[in-house]
This record gives sequence, structure tokens and C-alpha cells, in this order.
Amino acid sequence: MTRQEKIRNFCIVAHIDHGKSTLADRLMEATNTVAKRDMEEQLLDSMDIERERGITIKLTPATMKYQYNGEEYTLNLIDTPGHVDFSYEVSRSLAACEGAILVVDASQGVQAQTLANVYLALDANLEIVPVINKIDLPSADIEGTKKEIEDVIGIPCDEACEISAKTGLNITSVLDAVVKNMPCPKGEEDAPLKALIFDSYYDSYKGAVSMVRIFDGGVKVGDEILFMQTQKSFVVTEVGIFTPQPTPTENLKAGEVGYIAASIKNVSDTKVGDTITLKSNPVKKPLDGYKEATSVVFCGIYPLDGDKYQELNDALEKLKLNDASLHFTKETSLALGHGFRCGFLGLLHMEIITERLEREFNLEIITTAPSVEYKIWDNKNREYDVKNPSEMPPMASITKMEEPIVKMEIITPKEYLGGIMDLCSDRRGVYHDMQYIDANRTRLIYTMPLNEIVYDFFDKIKSLSKGYASMDYELAGYQESNLVKLDILLNGEICDALSLIVHKDKAYPRGRALCEKLKTVIPRHLFEIPIQAVIGGKVIARETISAMRKDVLAKCYGGDVTRKRKLLEKQKEGKKRMRRLGSVDLPSEAFVTILKLDD
Amino acid sequence: MKDFGLYIHIPFCSKKCDYCDFVSFSLDENAQKSYLEALCREIDLVKDKYKAITFSTIFIGGGTPSIVFDGFFKALTKKLYSCFKFSKKLEFTIEANPHSLTEDKLKEYLSCGVNRISLGVQSLDEQVLDTIHRTQSPKDVYHAFRLFKKLNISNVNADIIVGLPNQSYASISRTANYLKSRVQHISVYGLQLEEGTPLYRRVKSHELRLPDDDMVADFFQKTAKILKRTGFNQYEISNFAKPGYDCRHNQLYWDGSNYLGIGVAAHSYVDGTRFCNTSNFNEYINSLNGGTLPIKDSETLTPAQKREECIMLSLRTSKGLSLKEFSANFNENLLLSKKEQIERLIKLKKLEIKNGYLKINEGNQYLSNAIILELL
Repeated sequence: MTRQEKIRNFCIVAHIDHGKSTLADRLMEATNTVAKRDMEEQLLDSMDIERERGITIKLTPATMKYQYNGEEYTLNLIDTPGHVDFSYEVSRSLAACEGAILVVDASQGVQAQTLANVYLALDANLEIVPVINKIDLPSADIEGTKKEIEDVIGIPCDEACEISAKTGLNITSVLDAVVKNMPCPKGEEDAPLKALIFDSYYDSYKGAVSMVRIFDGGVKVGDEILFMQTQKSFVVTEVGIFTPQPTPTENLKAGEVGYIAASIKNVSDTKVGDTITLKSNPVKKPLDGYKEATSVVFCGIYPLDGDKYQELNDALEKLKLNDASLHFTKETSLALGHGFRCGFLGLLHMEIITERLEREFNLEIITTAPSVEYKIWDNKNREYDVKNPSEMPPMASITKMEEPIVKMEIITPKEYLGGIMDLCSDRRGVYHDMQYIDANRTRLIYTMPLNEIVYDFFDKIKSLSKGYASMDYELAGYQESNLVKLDILLNGEICDALSLIVHKDKAYPRGRALCEKLKTVIPRHLFEIPIQAVIGGKVIARETISAMRKDVLAKCYGGDVTRKRKLLEKQKEGKKRMRRLGSVDLPSEAFVTILKLDD
Repeated sequence: MKDFGLYIHIPFCSKKCDYCDFVSFSLDENAQKSYLEALCREIDLVKDKYKAITFSTIFIGGGTPSIVFDGFFKALTKKLYSCFKFSKKLEFTIEANPHSLTEDKLKEYLSCGVNRISLGVQSLDEQVLDTIHRTQSPKDVYHAFRLFKKLNISNVNADIIVGLPNQSYASISRTANYLKSRVQHISVYGLQLEEGTPLYRRVKSHELRLPDDDMVADFFQKTAKILKRTGFNQYEISNFAKPGYDCRHNQLYWDGSNYLGIGVAAHSYVDGTRFCNTSNFNEYINSLNGGTLPIKDSETLTPAQKREECIMLSLRTSKGLSLKEFSANFNENLLLSKKEQIERLIKLKKLEIKNGYLKINEGNQYLSNAIILELL
């Protein structure tokens, strides 16, 4: 047997919660890659947020050794991020593999993300090994799940592994199937180096480290490598494999998975999807499928305390070291002062970044309503890419507007079908198709505007279906649209941080809901405050906060002035945490309400 | 020469009211005796420091001073008069609970030099009093006033509270109307819901509902209107007095004067330092038995804190903040440093400037915090 014949490169695809990470942990245990006592639940998910939510954001590959029929095989497990926001990263991880384990929860069957991910795997020509998980659950329906996989996905399941990742039941059958059924890599050992970057991370000692799959050739310390997209070259300082900790090796050869460090200062030089080759002997053509990571969702991020602007800047820089898909530029708001307009791969990505700013950097931040990128043309035929309501040209000059749309796929038990279809059409969704997966479940296909799902679409789908429906989406270009900029006036002054771009038909209800909600979160002032929702100078909704009547410390406790002073100082602190717009003090909740409108 | 006040805390109550978080302990004659001894020890320990001072006010507060055993104040005042100097025009106030006040007690107070009684009326509405588990009934109040008349006591304050559960406009005006012709001074306090009190728990568990802020503001305005029509001046947010009857001790607190507090949990302000005694009864007694002053916290105010206090305290008074004094004391022209805020508040009719004084507009005292915050 040749060296490459004893290598298998594979990933695991699954719907969220179907047990992908648990299975990965068990595989590492079964191959003694990690001793059981060192096992932390879900070893591959290394960030706190990932562990809490049971999702994978950053990839961590693992190289395992497994004995099969008297031969030692090297199994490289490449984890894939578990969320639609990272579908490009998923596609690059899949491109690094020859096979994929498809995990389906026997108690839940095929779900939206199962389909989305398995289609990506099939597109990448991977050999699929089906695994039915959670067979120990009383509600497990093994035969039904197999039939579903065969009917809906079209993968034969007679040899599917039936396991419980939780209890460790039949885990070795999965390893056997990987060796037996998945093809080995077939790289050319003597060809020029051709390596795919499927992820990268920043290490304070080694610099930006590329996680790679070597397709052809080999690489060792001292080689001068060339990144074909950026055309930058560096001298390799370290190569190695993940065990799963990065462990240096002499070299990396065709068919192998590992990492390359070359004292690279910036992760943006190690772009996911780029091809690494040797500068002295380059390949003619890079690997297919490279794409620039583009931001889909945007929002403003501001420090709650204006003095913390520089700290926020430093924190974003640090996060960007590890996350080339995070984009940010400086922006200034009348209401919020100095901050940043940030671009994200999707809503989850946005949530992760804001949470990490708060948790890892202890920053208190205000985020403005998420926006998408609109394309707008004015009467001088100039094109604007509008990511922020403040960039919108005057309504009168606009001749054409377009907004991004997505192809949305929802799988739901049929009893929730009505509610979900109502929600989709309320969100301006256009119905395309409906298929029955089994007697009970339905798959819905819609196209809908991205800006209708950036608010609370996920939460709504989940609550409408008591958590049973699942969804996934992909970007599907732009379509012409009739949009308006909705402004909020507080005591007669525009609060730019509360402005929104909405579809014309949604402007009235949203304006009303915003005014009503703001009335409940803005404290009473010494004067009456009108709250108005305005479109192009026309008031479409109004609420009034009446003037405050009582704010007093009415008793002096036997000369305890200190207590009074402390109370006032506390009140003053509370006031400092608010943002003053003209004469109105806005608590930070005001900016959150805009995200959580029940319409 | 500014007044220098003396405050003495009597931490005993027969029963604690539901809203109260003052330091007080239940009635026990032995405890009272050892407390009296401790007070005398404390006086002995500080008398040398204050030997040059002439005190112009004494205020005995509580707790419920009127429930301690007969002879307590005779002994206490004897000690005071032998250790401290007092002004000829001494204002000497004692707080009393209508339920425990008797003719003998009043006579004892008068013989001690007390010339002002502060009566804890709170409300004359039986239902309201019951709800907060106050020991007295309106009848006790009527009885107290008969005694005042009999003994010719003509400098009386009544404390009343607005914002109690079950309070109504009718009960508010009944209370104010009864008192307005019988007392020379009224303190109107807004109920403050203090954490840890039974009332707090009862409100949080929805057993009781408090009137909302707007209603309390209305109750307060209603009371103020009744009193002002009868010739009372609102010389401070919570304090109303007939001409010549402003409480001098009370004013010490607002104008930054010195006062010395004796007793458990008593607060003092002397030459720019605020300090207070322990609020633990046994600690207080033991400390003094061991010959040490039971001071728990002490804070010498920074210029910034003094400035804050000056704004916070002087704006509570109807006289207001003297811009000239402020500028002399803090080297800051408030009209310039807070120009924008002051102009806005004047425009909103929340503040006014009169004869060199900055003050809160009549009728807006109940917004004082919000107004003061703008100027800090």
C-alpha cells in the first residue's frame, strides 16, 4: 500500500444538535487521539460561545491513527462550521476532503441544515457515509430515518451505521466505514506544491497560521511559499499536524492535512480558499472555488461610554486578527458619537462578534439595527451601495432601488405549515415550492428579502413551530424594491442611530411599533417628549412621553447627607450611561428595542 | 456666626413601622439604662473637643424618644448642660409618638428645657395607619393636641407622609386641614420604599399597592396648597412653617453648618468632615464601655464633594443657592460653567434667578433631583 492509500480526509455534516461534535469527540477517544480523562465535552468547539450554543464557528481539525485489518491508517477529521453564515468556509472545508459522514438524529430525521450541508458535500463530489445517531432515545425511528435519507437525499442506507455518540455505541463501525468506503487522496507527490487553505487563525508567537490540505507536492521549513490570490510570499517557519493540538512535523506531503506557519503578521494574508504553492516552482493554476469573504449584514457598534472608543477599536483589531471576514470602518453618529460600521457574514456572525466584545474585552457596547446592503441609483445615474440609513440619498433624487434576496428553505412539521407560510408572506416572501419529506414533514422554498430576516425571523420560526421547524438560506442576488428611510424624531430632532431602511409597505406598522416601544423605554424628562416616526418629512406615527412629576429625596435621615449625596451620584452615573440627543437622554435599551419589535 | 447643632439619637421603638429602616430596637428598660450610660460616656469623650462651641440647637430624634422610661431625659439633659455650652436662644426639639405621649412626659421635657415638639402624625386616616402597622390611632393625635393646649406648648411640628398605601385625596386633605391650625411647622415626607422593610416585601409581593409617582406628586401639591393658603412657607422641599417657625436645626443640614451627633447611628458634620457612629447597638455600648468613640465611617469632603453638596442642599431650600457665595467658595461662576443647563431649565420654568440666588421654581420642588442632577 502506498502512503496516500492509508490516508482518509473527511468531515462530518449534520443539522445543529444532531450530535456532530459529540461524534467527533467519540472518534478521537476511540482512536486514543485524546485520552478519555482529558476529554472536555465537545473538544473541537474551542470558544465559550460555541460550547454554550452547541455550534461550531472556528474549525479545529484533528489527525487520528486507526488500525484496520492490520494496517495503520491516518484519519484527518476536518470539522465544518455549523451555520449558514459560514457556508463559504464550509465549502472550503469540504473541498479539502474526499468523504463526509452524514449524521442524522434518529429522533428528528432530516432537517434543513442536513439538506443544505449534504448538498454542498455532494456538490464537492464527496463520498457520503450515512450515520444514524441517537438510536438510544426512546423516540428514535431508525428505519424511518433511513428511508428519509434514501427518499429525500438519495443516498442508500442499507449499510448505514447505527450509533449513539452519547453512549459510545457502535463508534468503531463509523471508523471502519470511513476506511472502507471513502476514497483515499490521489495527489501527485512530485508535482509542484498545491495546498488549499480551509481556515486560518492567529497565534501570538507564530503569526497567522494557515490550515491546509496538501493536494500535490510537499512543503517543509525553509521553503519560500507563495499565496496565489494575494501574490505574497513568505518563508515557512513551521509545519505540523493537529493532534488536535498543533504538533510540528518535518514536512507535509500530498494528501495530508496540517498547518503552515511563516511569520505572517496578518490573517488577511491567509485567505480561506487561497492556494499555497512554492515560489521557486509554482503551479500554473490555483485551485478552483476561491471567493472573497463578503459582508452581508451590517450594523453600527458604539461604546456605551464614549471614552472607550479607543478600547473598542483595539478590541475589533484583535478580533480581526483571527477573523478575516470581520470588516469595520470608522463612523460617526450624532446620537452615539464615534463608533464603527461593521460588516458580518450573517446574523450569527454579528451576534458572536458583539458577544465576544462584551465577554472577552469587557466592553459595554451599543449596536444599531442590522442593515443589509442596498443598491440605489439617483437621477444622475450614480450608484450608491447603502449599508447605513444615513448614506441614503434624498428620496426625490432616487430613480431605482434594489435589495438583496435569499433563497429560504424551511422544513417543518405540517401542523405549523400555515403559521410559517403566513410569516413568510408577511415578510414579503415569494413562494416557490413545497415538498413532502414524509407523512408529517414538509419542505418549503421561498425567496425573500434579506432585510426581512435580519430582525427576528429565526426566533419567529422557532416560536411558531415550538422549536420543531428548521431553516437555512443562501444569498440569491438582488431585486428591485420600493424602499423608504424611516426616521425617528425625539422632541423634534432626528435620532440618526434609530433610522431604518424599510419596504414602503412596512413603514407604517414599523413606525407605529417603534414609537410605542420607545415610549416604554425612554424615561420621563422634565418636559414632554413627542416621539415621531417620519418618512421624508411626513409624520406617520406619534407618541408622547409626558413630563416627569416626581423625582425627589424627600427625607433627610437625621443629617445623613452622605447617603443623599451617594444616591444622587448613583443617579448621575445612571444618567452618564445614557446617550443625550439634543435634550433627550436615551438609555441603551432604546437601541435594542429596534431589534425586538413585535409586529 | 453660623449655628452649631447637637443631635441625639434614641434608638428605641415599641414596634417598628412597616416603612421604617431607621435604626431602632425594641423596648427593654435595662437596654435603655445602659444606653443612657453610653450616651453619657460618649459626651464625656467628646466634651473637651467642643468646649469652645456654643450649641444653638438640640434635636432628640429616633426611634421613638417618647417611649423611654421617665427620668431618662432629665438625666441626659443634666449631663448635656454640664458638659456643653448652649446659646440663650436654644431651639430644643424632641420627637414624640402620639401613642406614648403623656402629660407627665411632656412636663418632664419642658422642665428639661425642651421648647419644640415634633409629633409623628403621619396620617389621620385610621385605615392607612392600620395598613402600615403604626401603633397609634387618630385619637392619640387629638389627645396630644389637647395636652399641648393645656401645657401651653405653642411650637409644634407634625410629620406627615404622602404616598402610603390606601391613601386618598380625602385622607390627605383631612390630615392637612386638621393640622394646619394647630401646628406651626409641618414636614411632608414622600414615602420612600426602603429595601429590607416589611412594606418593601409587601409591595414586592403585590400584597399592597403604592400610589404611583404622579399621584404622590398630586398628593404633595394638594397638601402644599392647603398649607400655603393657611400662611405656611415652604422653606425647604419637605418643610413648611408659619413665619418665624422655621426649624433652625433642620436648616443646619441645608446650609452646610456644623452639627454633632451623639448616639447609635448618629451622623455628624464638623469642619468639612462627615462621620457617623456604628449602627450596631451592642457595638456602640461595648465600644464606649471600653473608652473608645464608636465612629464607623468618616469622610473628609473633597472640594468637588463640597461643591456637589452645596448645590444639592441649597437648591432644596426656598432661599436657593447664593451665586456669590458659591463663586467665593468654589471659585466657579455657576452661571458660566452650567450656562447651557441653567438657560434650558430657566426656559422650562424649572429654575429662576432672583436677587443673586439660583432657586427651583415654586411648584417644582418635587422634581428637585432631576433639576439638581443637571447642575452637578
